[in-house]
Amino acid sequence: MCGINGIHAFHYAANPVDRSELIRTRDHMAPRGPDGAEAWFSEDGRVALGHRRLSIIDLSDAGTQPMASSDGRLVVTFNGEIYNFRALRADLEAKGHVFVSQSDTEVLLHLYASRGEAMVHDLRGMFAFAIWDSTRQVLFLARDPYGIKPLYYADDGWTFRFASQVKALLAGGAISRDPDPAGQVGFYLWGSVPEPFTTCEAIRALPAGCTLTVDRIGAREPRRYHSIAAVYREADALRLPRHDASDVRAELRDALADSVRHHLVADVPVGAFLSAGIDSGALVGLMRSVGQQSIQTVTLAFEEFRGRPEDESLLAAGVARAFETQHTTRVVTQAEFEADLPRILDAMDQPTIDGINTWFVAKAARELGLKVAISGLGGDELFGGYPSFRDIPRWVKLLAVPSHVPGFGRVARRLSQPLVSAVGFSPKVPGLLEYGGTYAGAYLVRRGLFMPWELRQLLDPDVVHRGLRRLAPLARVEAELPPAPASAHAKVASLESSLYMRNQLLRDTDWASMAHSLEVRVPLVDSALLQTVATARAAAPAQVGKELLAESPNVPLPTAIRERAKTGFTTPIGRWIRDARLGAAARRERGLLENAHWSRQWAERLAAI
Amino acid sequence: MEVLALLSDGFGAVGGIARYNQALMTALGACPHISGVTILPRFGTPTSPLPDGVVQQPAAGKFAWAARALASAARQKFDLVFCGHLNTVVLAAAIAKARHIPLWVQVHGIEAWEPRGRAVRAGLEAATIVTSVSRYTRRRLLSWSDISPDRVRVLPNTFTVSFVPRSRNTALAEHLGLAGKRIVLTVGRLSATERYKGHDRIIRALPEVLRQVPDAAYLIVGTGDDRSRLEKLAIDEGVAHVVKFAGEVPEADLPDHFAVADLFAMPSTGEGFGIVFLEAAASGLPVIGGNRDGSCDALADGAIGCAVDPDDRAQLVEAISAALQGRQVSQPDAVSRFAIENFASHVDELVRSLAH
Repeated sequence: MCGINGIHAFHYAANPVDRSELIRTRDHMAPRGPDGAEAWFSEDGRVALGHRRLSIIDLSDAGTQPMASSDGRLVVTFNGEIYNFRALRADLEAKGHVFVSQSDTEVLLHLYASRGEAMVHDLRGMFAFAIWDSTRQVLFLARDPYGIKPLYYADDGWTFRFASQVKALLAGGAISRDPDPAGQVGFYLWGSVPEPFTTCEAIRALPAGCTLTVDRIGAREPRRYHSIAAVYREADALRLPRHDASDVRAELRDALADSVRHHLVADVPVGAFLSAGIDSGALVGLMRSVGQQSIQTVTLAFEEFRGRPEDESLLAAGVARAFETQHTTRVVTQAEFEADLPRILDAMDQPTIDGINTWFVAKAARELGLKVAISGLGGDELFGGYPSFRDIPRWVKLLAVPSHVPGFGRVARRLSQPLVSAVGFSPKVPGLLEYGGTYAGAYLVRRGLFMPWELRQLLDPDVVHRGLRRLAPLARVEAELPPAPASAHAKVASLESSLYMRNQLLRDTDWASMAHSLEVRVPLVDSALLQTVATARAAAPAQVGKELLAESPNVPLPTAIRERAKTGFTTPIGRWIRDARLGAAARRERGLLENAHWSRQWAERLAAI
Repeated sequence: MEVLALLSDGFGAVGGIARYNQALMTALGACPHISGVTILPRFGTPTSPLPDGVVQQPAAGKFAWAARALASAARQKFDLVFCGHLNTVVLAAAIAKARHIPLWVQVHGIEAWEPRGRAVRAGLEAATIVTSVSRYTRRRLLSWSDISPDRVRVLPNTFTVSFVPRSRNTALAEHLGLAGKRIVLTVGRLSATERYKGHDRIIRALPEVLRQVPDAAYLIVGTGDDRSRLEKLAIDEGVAHVVKFAGEVPEADLPDHFAVADLFAMPSTGEGFGIVFLEAAASGLPVIGGNRDGSCDALADGAIGCAVDPDDRAQLVEAISAALQGRQVSQPDAVSRFAIENFASHVDELVRSLAH
């Protein structure tokens, strides 16, 4: 886990790489990698790679990056973890490759030498990396299937630049800050900026599950090598005979344990975030099941919730007792939030309405001396834990026919709008009539922060017009559906994993944890596990749910956790945000934002900063 | 690949776009993947033999030209349509679509900076590849069109070998009445509608420059309907005695005019690229340009010349005085990056990217 960056002056007209620019960008990411900072420059001055290191595997200098192959042909800078690196290394050694370090980074170099760009199919883990291939004179970049690790780039037509953070690229000083209307509009629609857009027109995210090459004419079109919807579709196509329920359970239990085992590979202690939910509790139980002896866990508690049903910390402490962890409950107060707010806004790479909870739990983990923590993120996407898994198929079924009547949706929405706002319903309700007839439309409404027709009250009409045209929100959601898995569950899971989890949850986890130099690992966001779960679900849908996850550790989760109704994770942060006085006062809180949900007010304030 | 090239200015036409097109068509014709290039120009009649692999049909008026383009596309099999100007992209895109062949669009400068209508945008967004003369034009284009950035490449201007450092042409200086002066030169159109080249900015800077460099003079090469305004401005500023309007100069005589100057300055705000910067730098002159447009590319971000804020008079005065006093030196080597060999090899790379 680290911060990476690089510059490639690919065009014959470009000046050689400005070394100081590389260092400025690299060192803007100091919190991502406090243990070391290195840079590599090609002899001809056309390529430079930077790296900030948080040492977790092979703590010796042999693991230092950027790392060159022994013949000097390849150089890599890498952020993330390759969990199957030992197996890959064994395969490569059998083919005659000779290794000089114990790091997963070196495996990338040998694997690229052996497999070329197809190497990405062999990797299990979270990663964003760039390899300079001096023989082909090509820069090769790749990002993991889910997009756990970030990777942003800018190609101005002469020079290509990349980094783990948008703000770090801007800190280099050579990239235009012109805003991208698609990023602005996307932020208001969803509460996070949807990839590949960023708030800057010149900077794009390399989409999750994609590779990119940069040659003498510049950055080529990103190439997708992994799609979550395709995994579900392939699982459908396998048409395995209906499994015995116990077989399915055993298989999944093994797969969950296998994922957790892989996610524990480290040369430093691995701790865990613990809430009162099934996901994090089951993961801590599985850590114990696969043999981790000493486990540090951390839970957030809020002064306001003391003695109230919202207080999860007592239940979490019960889980900790059941799995015999060294447990810490960290109390966060409104005063601490207000004191941290400037640093939170500074660390927030792209505007987002979430991530503050992760900020504090990561801060607490780091205070305990942890460098790595396991998180239960991804359980709801994998096992259908969100209300959207129920709502979206229902809406689509109900509205499919009327939505095919030309003009029905728009007219119905317009007619119902005044009534809906008069009775105080969510503005999403009329949106449902317009969009609810398709999966993409229903998803847009379900996960929407503001509805498209509200944007003109928030942004300049020209920005809205250009932003909506470029973003094409419905088409963007639809693009995550092909090759169209058959089941409703698979469709919703594909959308939630490829959009909400990717653009919001994973990105927020990255910036909020890296600001504290903490690596967060997510065993439930794993392409190998996804394959097993999708296959099992296609064969025996009723067997694959949260209950199975709860039962997967050798010692099952306490009953109080398993039987607790899904309440969602509640924090007082929304109220704190309402109370917080930001320098840039919200301009339009009267009207659209008066009495609005805190997330809408927060979005407007963030956008004004 | 057989290429149909729809150009505004072909071989035999004059001006920046014509020179660019001629270099590009020559390079295309020389690509191993290209079997032939058929040019349909709006303007230009070749006066010398065309490069190998290139044929040019006679120039024609707007409608005849469009009809000829459609007829050629219907008659002959092409594998690529090259569109040399955004204003004709609708026709080019229609041909490419009808024949199911890729479209290559070239953009130069101001025509691609401001948002264009729906039809032009659709035509542009249908392109397989767009080449822009500068990073600036590319950025402006990408701000209003939704074409994927990885389809928009930069193919900078290039210059010919006739521009090399020469010894000072004292005879011409005498002829122009500028003997013994330290001369600032601008070469460019004097257009009343555009007025972006910055002649007026230099004239306004001259009084202060003269205080620092008393033997400074300003030579303006080029003609146009803004000349009388500029002449009056020179009188108003009290510098008419050191401002010389040379009028239009044939391209063949340009090297001599570079050889008479001590500095080339054009603080413009409207350059797509500004090939004249390259010619000046290759001729051995220090160069000053603006920092707000495609000039940054011609100045190679400061490696070739000095980029100033065109509207900051103090900055401009300091830059001109420094160059005339020898504090900014010429960088004729830095300009070699824009040599025709690099241009041709890049065109070949672009063609290969289309072929794959």
